[in-house]
Amino acid sequence: MARRARWSSARTFERPTWGRDVQQFIQEIVNGLVTGSTYAVVALGFGLVFSVMRVINMAHPDLAMMGAYAAYVIIVLVLGGPTDLSLVVAIPLLIGLLVVGAAVGGFGGLMIERLVVRPSRGKYLLVPFIATAGVSIFLQNGASAIFGPNPRSVDPILPGGAVHISGVTFTSMQAAAFAISVAMMIALRHYVRATKWGLATRAVADLADVTSACGVNVNAVSRLTIGVASAMAGAAGVIVALIQTQASPFMGLLLGLKSFVCMLVAGNRYIEGILAVGLGLGILEAMVTGYISSQYRDAVAFGLMLVILLFRPSGLFGSYDT
Amino acid sequence: MIALITPYWDSITLIAAVTGVIAMGLYISSSAGALSVAHAALAGIGGYLGGVLTTNFAWAFVPALVAGGLAGALTGLLLGVLILRMNPLVAGLTTLAFGETAVVIAYNIKYIGGGSSFYGVPPYTTLTVALIAIALAAVIGWRFDRSRLGRSALAVRDDDTAAAAMGINVNLTRLAVFTLGAGIAGVGGALRVHYILVQRPEDLGFFESLSIVIIWAVGGSYTFWGPIAGAFVLTFVPELLRFSAEQRFMVYGLLLAAVVISRPDGMIRRLPDGQRPDIQRLLRRVGLRRGGPDVHPVKASGDERPET
Repeated sequence: MARRARWSSARTFERPTWGRDVQQFIQEIVNGLVTGSTYAVVALGFGLVFSVMRVINMAHPDLAMMGAYAAYVIIVLVLGGPTDLSLVVAIPLLIGLLVVGAAVGGFGGLMIERLVVRPSRGKYLLVPFIATAGVSIFLQNGASAIFGPNPRSVDPILPGGAVHISGVTFTSMQAAAFAISVAMMIALRHYVRATKWGLATRAVADLADVTSACGVNVNAVSRLTIGVASAMAGAAGVIVALIQTQASPFMGLLLGLKSFVCMLVAGNRYIEGILAVGLGLGILEAMVTGYISSQYRDAVAFGLMLVILLFRPSGLFGSYDT
Repeated sequence: MIALITPYWDSITLIAAVTGVIAMGLYISSSAGALSVAHAALAGIGGYLGGVLTTNFAWAFVPALVAGGLAGALTGLLLGVLILRMNPLVAGLTTLAFGETAVVIAYNIKYIGGGSSFYGVPPYTTLTVALIAIALAAVIGWRFDRSRLGRSALAVRDDDTAAAAMGINVNLTRLAVFTLGAGIAGVGGALRVHYILVQRPEDLGFFESLSIVIIWAVGGSYTFWGPIAGAFVLTFVPELLRFSAEQRFMVYGLLLAAVVISRPDGMIRRLPDGQRPDIQRLLRRVGLRRGGPDVHPVKASGDERPET
């Protein structure tokens, strides 16, 4: 009789609650998946540009920062910071923001390619690295000059606060972020595997001179690749701004470092590899933050890199060449 | 003591000189082709040891500097052994990871202050000391460039297979130059801590090391004048661009990109064998030096150099 009474009270979404430990574990995994998916998207862009053009674009995470500020400008300055939007309005707005972010990122990436990468390619690896580092300094301080060095807060636009399932909490924005990131990566994978330009991209990444001898316009492929990668970074920046509800001029630094580590640990060859490592890094960081201390969160990435690179120098899943 | 125009420029010159010492350490370490992004960490280790010795154990200045240098050299030796057989890209990444790991370790050692940094260091580094140090570093770099070890390192950097075929012990050369450069960086770090009087764990990290690498690459990575020129130019330029805090870094970033694109070798370019340095050719054209045309003006060996 007592048991019956317990089950009859109306608790719509609650199943019998799991132990607190399991709840926390799953919560960490969920948080980790969300942040990890953003790392993976930016890391993919990095890796794509590196394998096709053999150039490390240090300004790549700053393109994400530009996307984040684009989102800020639209949400706060243009729309005045709407808070209670219905789904019908919010979803197209989100899609619009992603498109704008991608456009901003893509434009920035193509400008960087034209002005900085093209004149400095082919000499040493270090030259475009330092040149794009200079561009990165320029972009960060430019954003700081325009918007101020303090973070600007961005209102989350999706309605409905947190969702609770079995004691695990996440916001609709986080779920959307994860879904969008995974969708972008699946789209990229399809592009790379099944479309003509995608195959050309893989060919150029593998053996650029042979591909050129087969009649592929390597320069056009390179430019297209950097455009796509930068657009993805811009869209990722929009997502990060919405999850963290803020945009700051130097957010590219930490994001970039972690994405760089993802790219190195996963190796350039397989997109799924970078996705897996990105998610894994996010989860690992969440675990360390939750169970040990948040002090070590940023050290996780480097520890992981050190360990993996000692045993598998070309990345977990291999790269085209090293 | 020497004083330049104002105390403000004194301190800028001092910082530039000390950074030049650390950059010279990087120059020597990387002269065999293994780029190291850990030199801020090596300098920081020297700084911690030198600072602790002077503060907690009341050592004199020069022995503390030497100890800092030895600490840097020892750590450099270990790191060098670690990256000896890796290919250049992976070796660079390992140094990156090493630097960041050093930061985390430094954060967690309470004796050297942990997250609150190590402070209370006596201010032994003056402008005179710094200028003497950079002059000594320049002499060491000059002798290194002309020595057997320095030339072997350059050969290894250009093509290690050919160097090995010529009888150069590639691994020994790499290890020797790495350790030497690490020691110099350690001394530079000890000098710096006795000026700034504080040693933070963050100063061992990747971004600091990246600044040193940029100084090295922009200044000129093939001659000993390079790191010195790079350190002075890249320390003075932000000070000379005295607009607002952000705008001057915007200009700085653009300048950085422009310089490195137009001069991939660095500001002070590599001398192809047999060609007189640019300065001497200029002086000759102006008439301040006698002498005929260049001896065997050989063009630099091709534009397709292997990646650094």
